[in-house]
Amino acid sequence: MASARIDRETAQRRKHWDRKWIPYALLAPALITILIVIISPLLTTIYYSFSNVDLIFNRTTFIGLENYQELFTSRLFWKAIEINLKFAAIVVIVPTLMGLFFALLLVEDFIGRGIGRTLLILPWALPWIVIGLLWNWLVNAQFGAINGLLYSLGLIDKYIPFMADEDWALIFTALASAWRQTSFSAILLLAALQTIPEDLYDAAKVDGAGLRARFRFITFAWIRPTLTIVLLYNIVLGFLQFDAVWIMTQGGPGDATMLLSVLLYRETFINFDLGMGAAVSNVLGLITLGVGLFFVRLTYRSQAAYA
Amino acid sequence: MSFSTSKFWRWALRKIAIYLAFFCLIFWVGFPVYYMLITSVMDPPELAAKPPNWIPQQPTIQNYREVIIGETGQRGDYGTTTEFSRMMPALLNSTFVSFAVVVLNLIIGGMAAYAFSRFDFRLGRVAYVGVLMTRVLPALSLIVPLFIILRRINLINTLWALIITYTIFILPLTIWILREYFDTLARDIEEMALIDGATRWQAFRMVVAPLAVPGMIAVGVMAFMEAWSEFFFALTLTNSLTYPPLLMSFRNLHQVNWNALAAATTLGVLPPVIVAFVFQRYLVRGLSEGAVKG
Repeated sequence: MASARIDRETAQRRKHWDRKWIPYALLAPALITILIVIISPLLTTIYYSFSNVDLIFNRTTFIGLENYQELFTSRLFWKAIEINLKFAAIVVIVPTLMGLFFALLLVEDFIGRGIGRTLLILPWALPWIVIGLLWNWLVNAQFGAINGLLYSLGLIDKYIPFMADEDWALIFTALASAWRQTSFSAILLLAALQTIPEDLYDAAKVDGAGLRARFRFITFAWIRPTLTIVLLYNIVLGFLQFDAVWIMTQGGPGDATMLLSVLLYRETFINFDLGMGAAVSNVLGLITLGVGLFFVRLTYRSQAAYA
Repeated sequence: MSFSTSKFWRWALRKIAIYLAFFCLIFWVGFPVYYMLITSVMDPPELAAKPPNWIPQQPTIQNYREVIIGETGQRGDYGTTTEFSRMMPALLNSTFVSFAVVVLNLIIGGMAAYAFSRFDFRLGRVAYVGVLMTRVLPALSLIVPLFIILRRINLINTLWALIITYTIFILPLTIWILREYFDTLARDIEEMALIDGATRWQAFRMVVAPLAVPGMIAVGVMAFMEAWSEFFFALTLTNSLTYPPLLMSFRNLHQVNWNALAAATTLGVLPPVIVAFVFQRYLVRGLSEGAVKG
């Protein structure tokens, strides 16, 4: 009896003892490296956006809001915003709808479902840079598969140089992004669909609910939180996509696919205007952060409503 | 009688609809990939055929051979270059980087996640905000300060520049998923072990770690995929040491040999595709946990 108490006291003392420094030691590597590699560059970028960064003389002078003034009055910036909104619209709508479509298909019971589920992972497993290349092959004007298909079907008699056309270039770069993102959306939605208890449907059937009612009040209600997250990711991608667009068009033809991310890259690495590049990136960061916070509030509110 | 007939038709319609949708899925995913695959086994002249040969007439492994030995265009057609000799070293580098990122992530992230999960911290929200931030932050925008830091410690154009950057950018996600995982593992078993005189480390090693294996696999697979695929940092911090930026430089060659490029692309996506297929279940789990909770 007495020894048990002593044991417990020792254990408690030990617990007390390790509480003091162990958690900090465990956290230190992660927090310190994140501080150096993410937070400090972030602060530097914010500072750059208010400065004129002279790479040759290695001088950074504070110039207040000048970069932002110049940015907000430039025609290219507003054009990039417009292009980016169109791009994001495709990257949000296509993957969300097609993702939902494929997820609803793959939750059904049929021969080939296993193959379908595995196939679904494939686009997601490919790097963005490969997505860009794949779609390059599809839209190429000399040997592109889409041209080939249309030609084989007799719908065109001459190959179309899609990427030389401003509208097509924007549509196809967005579709390339949508292609991979559809898989991502479908994977998430399928995982959510699989957690719906079957007896919910049975109960609804007994209550005489039709197909549409069952979809709306069971399926849709159940996956709504996931759908919200999927939307968030698709919107964020719509604004942060760079890799696939860069390998496909590098912003062209003309400025037709000049997304904000491409503008940021051009200002920073081609014009070497680091201050301006930083200003663009802060605008971009604020947009995505705003979208992110909005959706976080949305999920919290819906969670609160369920609780 | 008529009842069973209408039932049959409903069943048939349903099957038709399902297989139509299934065909859409196969076409949507399969067509682009199939075209890359057939391009990779064609000769350059065959690629120029109009309409295209949907089934290659004379499939050849020549493109793969050339990419692996590193010399293309030996057949006297266009695209003669030794640039492709960088391919195999790049694949090795990518492999090394990806594995290093996985291991470092599991160690550093696992430690932090355990601390968040088992000790009372107000910092929990910081991890949450951290995850959110890295997900919405344009990584592009951090490159210049990051470049300056890495140049100061002489890591530019080394694999370590990539290993460090990738590890840290994936860390918040790792911490988030593992923390959720640790949270769901019964705390009382561990506390019982502590009271029985086990140290924290013993309790972690004997009780928590074995139970957390599925979560760690999920996180490891995600880290592998991200590290293998990352393009932008690799492009700016190194001179195409790894696979993704090297593809870009093949693409930008004066005379692109599209067939060799297709072979190189196919070779380079094999590792992530195989990993994704093998660990499918863990991947889906990691994805949905990381996304839905993060």
